[in-house]
Amino acid sequence: MKSQSGNPGGPTGIVLNIQRYCSHDGPGIRTTVFLKGCSLRCKWCGNPESIRPKPEMSYDPRKCTGKKACGVCLKSPFPEGAFYVVEGGADDKVKVNWDLATNCDQALCSLCPTGALEMYGKSMTVDEVLDEVEKDSSFYRNTGGGMTISGGEVMLQPDFAAALLKGAHERGFNTAVETACNAPWSFLEKVLPHVDTMPHDHKLTIPERHKKWTGVSNERILANFKRAYETFPDIDFIARTPLIPGVNADEEHIRAVLAFIRPYKNVIDYELLPYHRFGLAKYEYLGKVYELDDYKTPSEEVVAHLQAIIDEAFGRTSSDKK
Amino acid sequence: MSIEVGHASFLRRIAIMVGAGFVPGMNSVVMGAALAAGKLGWEMVGIRDGFDGLLHPDRYPDGGLVPLSPQMAENLDPAAGGILGQSARVDPFHVRTVNADDMVEEVDMSDELLKRLQAERIDALIAVVGGRGMSIFHKLHRKGLNAVCIPRSIENDIAATAVSFGFNSALSFTIEMLDRVRQAAQSARKIAVVEVLGEQAGWLALQAGIAVCADAVLIPEIPPDLEMVAARMEEKVTPRRPYGVVVVAEGVKLSDGMQAQAKESSLKASLSPLATGGASEHVIQKSGQAAESVATRLQLLIAQETFPMVLGPWVRGGVPTAVDRQLGLGYGAGAIRAVRAGKYGVMMAFVPPDINFVPLVEAINKVRTVPANSEFMQIARSLGICLGREI
Repeated sequence: MKSQSGNPGGPTGIVLNIQRYCSHDGPGIRTTVFLKGCSLRCKWCGNPESIRPKPEMSYDPRKCTGKKACGVCLKSPFPEGAFYVVEGGADDKVKVNWDLATNCDQALCSLCPTGALEMYGKSMTVDEVLDEVEKDSSFYRNTGGGMTISGGEVMLQPDFAAALLKGAHERGFNTAVETACNAPWSFLEKVLPHVDTMPHDHKLTIPERHKKWTGVSNERILANFKRAYETFPDIDFIARTPLIPGVNADEEHIRAVLAFIRPYKNVIDYELLPYHRFGLAKYEYLGKVYELDDYKTPSEEVVAHLQAIIDEAFGRTSSDKK
Repeated sequence: MSIEVGHASFLRRIAIMVGAGFVPGMNSVVMGAALAAGKLGWEMVGIRDGFDGLLHPDRYPDGGLVPLSPQMAENLDPAAGGILGQSARVDPFHVRTVNADDMVEEVDMSDELLKRLQAERIDALIAVVGGRGMSIFHKLHRKGLNAVCIPRSIENDIAATAVSFGFNSALSFTIEMLDRVRQAAQSARKIAVVEVLGEQAGWLALQAGIAVCADAVLIPEIPPDLEMVAARMEEKVTPRRPYGVVVVAEGVKLSDGMQAQAKESSLKASLSPLATGGASEHVIQKSGQAAESVATRLQLLIAQETFPMVLGPWVRGGVPTAVDRQLGLGYGAGAIRAVRAGKYGVMMAFVPPDINFVPLVEAINKVRTVPANSEFMQIARSLGICLGREI
């Protein structure tokens, strides 16, 4: 592929992680490329390490062997005051002063012998990513799978994402993009021509509530969805809702989303993603506070009830779904 | 922003702000600073809602700064909430904003903050902050801000001072609530396991536990042996005294993996890269989890029924105690003394019988934990209170 940026490997982007053998992000067995940077601040976010657009340090206290056994990060070249130990505490594990540890980079993290310090995110070229994705190409061929780009918000790196998707098509992979579409349309129109399937989030339908839970209103997002449905009839759009009791796990929201998507035949499904807390530890690793501390996963009954409404709207019976 | 050290007459305008995290009686600190400043002929202003009054004045039709004349200050109600309000986040290095493209981002507004302070002719800033706030003000001081911090902590875990502002009120209310819990436990003939604040230091649990003669007190400094605690509870809870009270600090470290593990799911692999489940195995973070874990485990080890209760954030509100009112006034007036002496990048510290100032670096990255040889530990043991493990 000819470079768009003068870099022989194509444009570069900040990649959080490349996850293989995924089965929920589009058809077949897939490899999901997580990009870094997000334009929303959903309080339930399960991937807090994807929010900041730049690589950032994480600290896993379980891997730390403590000051006595190691103590490397308590000395130069680590920034003064960035790490410390609580004298008189229950153990001598290191703690991070996140306000003073802002300049810790890959070079510093690599000095940590136990791997307790790690960087989330790194710069990669398009070819580097695609070569990694290609390793599982036999699975894609057999299952109809391919490459999914997720985030963060994919649309915040539009040139990189577009080049990745175009490159994936050139290598014969199906492409999917998971997005919330909170970006200017000019970003989206670079990416969408190279997308086969687009799972996209309808988080909340009422603008004020959307702002309360994600940081911004959803007016531009809904306008983007509408324009995408109308402009790209060949994309298989899959609407999604992360289902959180007390936030949006109710009929009102589900029916409002159905009313929005059903006029468009290229919105082929509406999926519910029950709220989970798998990302909780990562908040601790990043020195962040998880704001949805007291929220629980929705009950099976609630999910089943809301799913039945969706199935009915799509003219499916429960046996069809299976 | 710099001023000539030691020449107090150059100073004319001082600001005061309150960091995130409420404690009762904030007005007494404002009052102490404003009255002391007024006595020197200095002008005092308060910044509304953390830094918001300065960084986002457009949100305040009456202005983001509150004039604090001595006349106004002496009419403040020390028992009421803080006149300056608060902000959930007080970190000018990471201010959450929505940009022109309607995208949320965190931006560094520290330079902007210093410019605004300069534009408002503010010579020094007094900040009532907790441990994290100290680090932020240390950074701001290194950028040129004349900062004096006043320690505020419900848990009394800020180093270099014997008592942080707010602790005594929280302690007093915790004791009152534990007295009530004791009656509830007595009536129900059960063992109450009560979680109180204290993520890193167990002062609140220990001192309140002593005050009510609790049966056991579990604090972050001593990872408990729950079998030992259970054995002691079996001794204490008898047919003649069929109840008990166990006080648990929320940060108690339970090393036997009692936390509920999240169920594995195929979704985990594809939805959340690097996902690992709940919080670290040795750290309980969620409010109420410590009480629940200890109550459940104890119940499996002993014959008596247990029930968990959580005081948690209840103790952050209410009326300040006499001690906190005096301490607040003392810290506020002391901060003006520090400004007058040209001492910046410092924290006020109560080292009985004096209120002094210490460099901020003495408070940063340190936690005032309960020492193993603390007088309070010895008192607790003398009273027969189980501390979770013999040391």
